[in-house]
Amino acid sequence: MSNRIIFILSLLGLIVTAFLAFEYIQTGPIVCPITGAGCELVRKSSYSKILGIDLPYFGILFYIAVATITIWLIQKSDKLVSGLRLLVSIIGFAFGVYLTFLEAFVIHAWCIWCLTSFIISGFIFLICIEEFRRKSI
Amino acid sequence: MKTETKILIGVLISCLVLVLGAVFFLGRSENGGNLGNTQTLNIDYSKGEKIGSDSAKVKLVEFSDLQCPACKAAEPIVKQVVEKNKDNSFQFIYRHFPLTQHIHSRKAANFVEYAQTQGKFWEVHDKLFETQDSWSTLSDPSDYFVNLGAQFGLDKDKIKEAISKGEFDQKINDDLAEGNRVGVDATPTFYMNGKKLNLQNFTDLKLAIAEELKK
Repeated sequence: MSNRIIFILSLLGLIVTAFLAFEYIQTGPIVCPITGAGCELVRKSSYSKILGIDLPYFGILFYIAVATITIWLIQKSDKLVSGLRLLVSIIGFAFGVYLTFLEAFVIHAWCIWCLTSFIISGFIFLICIEEFRRKSI
Repeated sequence: MKTETKILIGVLISCLVLVLGAVFFLGRSENGGNLGNTQTLNIDYSKGEKIGSDSAKVKLVEFSDLQCPACKAAEPIVKQVVEKNKDNSFQFIYRHFPLTQHIHSRKAANFVEYAQTQGKFWEVHDKLFETQDSWSTLSDPSDYFVNLGAQFGLDKDKIKEAISKGEFDQKINDDLAEGNRVGVDATPTFYMNGKKLNLQNFTDLKLAIAEELKK
């Protein structure tokens, strides 16, 4: 059951980050919008790219990785693979913590889609821990 | 391979194709936009702060927010446009559109409106944009504004009063209401002869005006 929840969550995460990627490639004019101002501020900040690549692409990769490993685990339960998924989920969640910290204390703006992805990655992380623990017992 | 695994692989691949396909397809198709909207809106040209003749052929109205970084970014281009068309064929009108997320923009608008009563609107307007980074981050910019106004010979107490009482709120609200009526959804928004401009960058503003003047 947990694997299926993780799979669904990673699909949700994929949709959210894909939407963010879509927002990023919009070459709209520089404006301060009435709504969604936080997203604009975060997008325009210097933290919205790593090595010249827009952050949402990393999110997409993360959720594809989690979904793929989960399918693998549904096919065949394996402690090592479960550990690998836990590692991936830790990286994803830790990255989310870092980005949320930046939003709160450096950029001073909240992007609702980034936060949604952060919450999803948090749930994935928690369920992955639980799954890994169950496998270890 | 389990049936469930096959189904999940199918779901994941379909999801990827759909979502990523939509991202790239929609992302590309929306890029090319028209400079001007076809719809001509009725804007009250009697209001706002103006540069240029009332009988000008081309009237450019900007709905702007003094605390908005994008408006600050547009300023040099607006200046160039105004400078280049300093004849009777062009008029620039500044209207207020303070956004709620910019917590000091209403105070700044009240300050600049007080300056207007003393004939110093543009001086203070320019200075506010120039110093935007300094006062935007203050918890209360009132003192900063008072000192800034003093540089232009404005009365300190009167500036304080205008800001604290929101003396020009009515005028600012009228601008806001008109902005909302004509569909301002971001700042800065420009209207040229009543047509909303969809600018991809501010340099497009020069082109749009040059074209309209040629007509």
